[in-house]
Amino acid sequence: MHKQTHRHVWKRIRDREAGKLRANHFANRIKSNRISQLQLSNHKDIVSPHKGAINSLQVDSTEGRYLLSAASDASVAVYDVQRPTVYEAGGGGGGGISKHSSIFVVDKQHQQGHKYAVSTAIWYPIDTGLFVTGSYDHHINVWDTNTTQVVVNFKMPGKVHRAAMSNLSTSHMLIAAATEDVQVRLCDIASGAFAHTLSGHRDGVMTVEWSNSSEWVLVTGGCDGAIRFWDIRRAGCFQVLDQSQTQLGRRPPILKRSMITKDSSTKLRAAQKKHANGSGSRQQPIGRVPSKGPMKQRLHPGMLSTQDRATAHYGAVTGLKATEDGMYLLSAGSDSRLRLWDVESSCNTLVNFETVRLQINKPLQLATTQDSALVFVPCMRSVKAFDMWSGNTYTILRGHYECVNSCWFNQHDQELYTGGNDRQILVWSPARSIADEMEGTAEDQDNWSS
Amino acid sequence: MTIWNYVVTAHKPTNVTHSCVGNFTSPQDLNLIIAKCTRIEIHLLSPQGLQPMLDVPIYGRIATLELFRPHGEAQDYLFIATERYKFCVLQWDSETGELVTRAMGDVSDRIGRPTDNGQIGIIDPDCRLIGLHLYDGLFKVIPFDNKGQLKEAFNIRLEELQVLDIKFLYGCSKPTIVVLYQDNKDARHVKTYEVALKDKDFVEGPWSQNNLDNGADLLIPVPPPLCGVLIIGEETIVYCSANAFKAIPIRPSITKAYGRVDPDGSRYLLGDHTGLVSLLVIIHEKEKVTGLKIEPLGETSIASTISYLDNAFVYVGSSYGDSQLIKLNLQPDAKGSYVEVLERYVNLGPIVDFCVVDLERQGQGQVVTCSGAYKDGSLRVVRNGIGINEQASVELQGIKGMWSLRSSTDDPFDTFLVVSFISETRILAMNLEDELEETEIEGFCSQVQTLFCHDAVHNQLVQVTSSSVRLVSSTTRDLRNEWHAPSGYSVNVATANATQTISVRIFSLPGSESHHKGTIRNNRREIILSSCAFEGISYLLCALGDGHLLNFMLNTSTGELTDRKKVSLGTQPITLRTFSSKNTTHVFAASDRPTVIYSSNKKLLYSNVNLKEVSHMCPFNSAAFPDSLAIAKEGELTIGTIDDIQKLHIRSIPLGEHARRICHQEQSRTFAICSLKYNPASGEDSEMHFVRLLDDQTFEFISTYSLDTYEYGCFIISCSFSDDNNVYYCVGTAYVLPEEMEPTKGRILVFAVEDGKLQLIAEKETKGAVYCLNAFNGKLLAAVGQKIQLYKWVLRDDGTHELQSECGHHGHILALYVQTRGDFIVVGDLMKSISLLIYKHEEGAIEERARDYNANWMSAVEIVDDDIYLGAENSFNLFTVRKNSEGATDEERGRLEVVGEYHLGEFVNRFRHGSLVMRLPDSDVGQIPTVIFGTINGVIGVIASLPHEQYVFLEKLQSNLRKVIKGVGGLSHEQWRSFNNEKKTVEARNFLDGDLIESFLDLNRSKMDEISKALDVSVEELCKRVEELTRLH
Repeated sequence: MHKQTHRHVWKRIRDREAGKLRANHFANRIKSNRISQLQLSNHKDIVSPHKGAINSLQVDSTEGRYLLSAASDASVAVYDVQRPTVYEAGGGGGGGISKHSSIFVVDKQHQQGHKYAVSTAIWYPIDTGLFVTGSYDHHINVWDTNTTQVVVNFKMPGKVHRAAMSNLSTSHMLIAAATEDVQVRLCDIASGAFAHTLSGHRDGVMTVEWSNSSEWVLVTGGCDGAIRFWDIRRAGCFQVLDQSQTQLGRRPPILKRSMITKDSSTKLRAAQKKHANGSGSRQQPIGRVPSKGPMKQRLHPGMLSTQDRATAHYGAVTGLKATEDGMYLLSAGSDSRLRLWDVESSCNTLVNFETVRLQINKPLQLATTQDSALVFVPCMRSVKAFDMWSGNTYTILRGHYECVNSCWFNQHDQELYTGGNDRQILVWSPARSIADEMEGTAEDQDNWSS
Repeated sequence: MTIWNYVVTAHKPTNVTHSCVGNFTSPQDLNLIIAKCTRIEIHLLSPQGLQPMLDVPIYGRIATLELFRPHGEAQDYLFIATERYKFCVLQWDSETGELVTRAMGDVSDRIGRPTDNGQIGIIDPDCRLIGLHLYDGLFKVIPFDNKGQLKEAFNIRLEELQVLDIKFLYGCSKPTIVVLYQDNKDARHVKTYEVALKDKDFVEGPWSQNNLDNGADLLIPVPPPLCGVLIIGEETIVYCSANAFKAIPIRPSITKAYGRVDPDGSRYLLGDHTGLVSLLVIIHEKEKVTGLKIEPLGETSIASTISYLDNAFVYVGSSYGDSQLIKLNLQPDAKGSYVEVLERYVNLGPIVDFCVVDLERQGQGQVVTCSGAYKDGSLRVVRNGIGINEQASVELQGIKGMWSLRSSTDDPFDTFLVVSFISETRILAMNLEDELEETEIEGFCSQVQTLFCHDAVHNQLVQVTSSSVRLVSSTTRDLRNEWHAPSGYSVNVATANATQTISVRIFSLPGSESHHKGTIRNNRREIILSSCAFEGISYLLCALGDGHLLNFMLNTSTGELTDRKKVSLGTQPITLRTFSSKNTTHVFAASDRPTVIYSSNKKLLYSNVNLKEVSHMCPFNSAAFPDSLAIAKEGELTIGTIDDIQKLHIRSIPLGEHARRICHQEQSRTFAICSLKYNPASGEDSEMHFVRLLDDQTFEFISTYSLDTYEYGCFIISCSFSDDNNVYYCVGTAYVLPEEMEPTKGRILVFAVEDGKLQLIAEKETKGAVYCLNAFNGKLLAAVGQKIQLYKWVLRDDGTHELQSECGHHGHILALYVQTRGDFIVVGDLMKSISLLIYKHEEGAIEERARDYNANWMSAVEIVDDDIYLGAENSFNLFTVRKNSEGATDEERGRLEVVGEYHLGEFVNRFRHGSLVMRLPDSDVGQIPTVIFGTINGVIGVIASLPHEQYVFLEKLQSNLRKVIKGVGGLSHEQWRSFNNEKKTVEARNFLDGDLIESFLDLNRSKMDEISKALDVSVEELCKRVEELTRLH
């Protein structure tokens, strides 16, 4: 008797109601099923008003409803991805298509709008009442969504490449800003001032990403090829990723039985890593990193890595993405390499992602599925979905006419949104079946109004 | 319109999720501990069988239940972990008979992805540590110290992501786990790891084994002297250790449960998904394993757990059928089975559908559920209250009292029924032909009302009238002696036992004597029944003329009365009568709301009898009608047997197949079900799907329609159409083809019941599965895949009817659950919560009116009223949303506002409007609308919509109860009821926990007083208001 995979949706629904399939297992399998069917959407269109390259995409995390996009023509737009503006009934037997036009646009004509390309637009994590934009005009603006007025403004020392806020934060409202300058700046919405600067990169900072397991940990990627981990409550970074520090697999190798009595050199490493998860008192991570030589004992542990010149990529780090479980970090570099890092051991996992060509001079926005089984990577004019642990290409999404810059995966709907230099925002979704043929009447049976 | 809801359990969970055996209540006690998802039961194994000792709720869904014995302890401790990452360690206090919390904590993490193959919690056999697998890639360790205390937990990274099972191995000098996992090519392997406590990491384990049976799913660790592990697959069972590898092929099956038989680990019981129990033997010579052998023993319920107790007694816990206590006999029976079923324990789970019907036309709903799965599928008829099965009845007016008498002291049966009227007494008797006929007892005075009768020693009978007490021979029926009341006096109340008669005229109640005298003055009648013993505890029950009952605990040596409680049993004077059922004492309270009073778990319980008004009652255990009662109603005397005494009475109709949908049709007096039958005899599992018609009294199958190959029944309703007087059953189906991921085809079948047969009248093919059907505006509304489609019933030229599509609405992911009210349609989506549609008659169109934008994965929906809609979702929560027609903007009007959130902790499959209880017009709760729900765990619950003032009052009561009642294991009720899914955790809102509120009635008096003081409401008033709520279910 060979094992049936039971991929059938109907059987899964039946097994869930009988308690044969755990409820959360059911939801996760349905999601995986839907992700395996991603294609250029046959039922949903986003009507982009942008006249420049799409640089940033984000859907709010509270309702999964509002998509925020930023473009090189200094414009920012918001769309309702759940409720279409119009619904076009298909002719000739085709299915209907819902069209989602922008709810509003802020551009150069706005008196407080940005003057040059907007590199980043992000929602305030708690609700959609505020959003934050960062621009090549050296400004970060915080906007009131309902009035489309700037409520706080931060002048930055150079072009803003990326800005980020922590989804976990309950204690701070900090915007982390990556700019042409070597310092990362933390902007406090509450006070309107810079709360902190983080020094260590030797060239401009391309990208920032907050940890998914601690509100205090920030990860930055620089033009110097370095990826640095910072605890924003302390000076200096506590970890620099070194591509030559490797492990094969998801965790450092298990100790052989013959090595049981061997002294471990992990104590200092463990001490340093207490900060990484922000809850060191409750949890003590285990690391297995070969010693790099004599430890510089005199330095404060948090300052150990300031002088570390290790690099994660032979080229600028152009994209960072923390996995949802907080255990791994993906990085993309201008060396056209994609790397998967074990956050706890700080090791390169040596997952060999198949050959990719990555843009070299702009930040890339990577996306992962909620279960982190797949990563979506802009690869010139296409988007490649890689299996996270084998590095194999799962699918290639072709539809853009020019380079893709941004990917956003909407967990609510298992939809992927991509934006590129062709000014398009494309929706990739599970195929929806074609609506019924007309049954002997000329009237359109499927009415929709909003 | 009300958004305030009261959620209460009418029937507790019955699905057994865990069980374990050990010495928990004392070193000499052998205990069986059972978990039913959110409750634990502790039983003691005694020569009489399983004795219940404790039954308590847990504020969490139990993920792990393990008994363990720390070093140096004489008794086992109990480890419980919940799905929301709480754990506790419980100990039994022998002196108080209570659970004590030894440890508690939270093992949630900020990193890691929650595992969806099921959480694992295990304890090292040498009690060095507890291991937990809660997140993919992480193994959490909670070490013990030398004194058995828990130390700080830490995580070890686990390479394997798809973990199927983890167990600790026996006999290892270091704690060692064995991990059964699946790789990314879907191959299955086992690997061992030692836990290095000092390094807080794994060390390579002693052995591993690759490429097991593809269905390997279960590990069984083997204790010394053999050690090693058994790996249970679908086609192979493997024994594996550092020294040996033995494999044995088995009949293809899915094994879900096992129980170890011997302390030396050489024999195991295995239970599979067909209910077959087998004995697995590890064949060995001394400590060397030489082979495996498996032997079928017989059939049980499909086991979810197996606990070997003692002396070949085994407890089989079940999720898909009733749980059982079985005996394994040495010799097979006539069918070759070694299994003898000694006891069955009801399991209603999983309830996948139900309907609410009034089968006996008594004005009270009965719930008929589709329960169970595979061969253990059944229908269950769930009725509140105790039914009387009439055997005989006589028309008699004006009955004032009734007593049963025997014809001799040694006769085990009653012969005479003495019926008293206002100015005469009549005798009914069973004659030699076992017929009830009027007769005479010459020694009795038949021209006056009898106040009391009783059997007396030495073959004698006693009759008490207002003027005399008469002693009569039961054999000759002649008067033997008589006592006359003194002139000017009369007897008012009398009672007796076999040897003496007591009369009283004036009675004083203890404590607050003046107050109670005042109370007594306002009542014309008082009836006293003293020294009534339930479960060895003595109570004094006092029935008052206004329909209230007082009960006190009675200390028989000191005469002290304590723990006074007052219960309303109606509005008319009550008469009390003791009777016995199944060797247990019960009291029948006859009034306008007849009730049986009994004790369960040392607690007095009240269960209503399904009769409108009973004036008198007495037990009548005759040879012709054993264990019967005689009941006097308005104008009628009835003799009948009584149902089992319990609050909810459950009648089980085994089907031998899995009923998935049910519907009742009043007009044809039938039920129709969609069911499936598994055919395990085939090489692979195959299913046959049917639509079956059942008689609504006998539940016999009277007609069957077989669906096509691969055609599965999805839904069934009874409905009629515009311009057609007939009533039809409509069935929605889906063609579930193996090569498709989702059905692309289904049918709607329209049946009429003609001459007791299902006749197919019409059929309509659909482009997807028909998940739901509703009668709607004289038409048929179908949920077909991602679409809502409206069909009208059209008369064709040839005189036949057909379903014709009128209009539809799509945009759903999958429209799984639909309810309608007027022109409004409420849709529960697979993953997009609730949307509200409206049908526009003039345009013949269906439009979306509003939607909830939360990504709720729905499992059931219901319309509470015109504006409030109720949903249940995949993470075991309930929520309500409200239509906002008055909103200022389109966006506001287009959004269903979430107005209530609550963690039920149960997976709800169906909501139905209805009530389990008779709606009494005089009752405060009679006007409260209720919805009944059914769950996977077999819970039947009620959700009631309360007026705001009542809600606010009860919310304060709930808040105070939280302070007074602590959850077992230190678990927090507030945290337990918080709405929780993968996106958020928020406080419960606009829902009250009726189970907690009604536990007020179980408190001792001092705790009641404490709450009474805090709320500034008297205890009597609080009891009254909470008692009223218990009448909702």
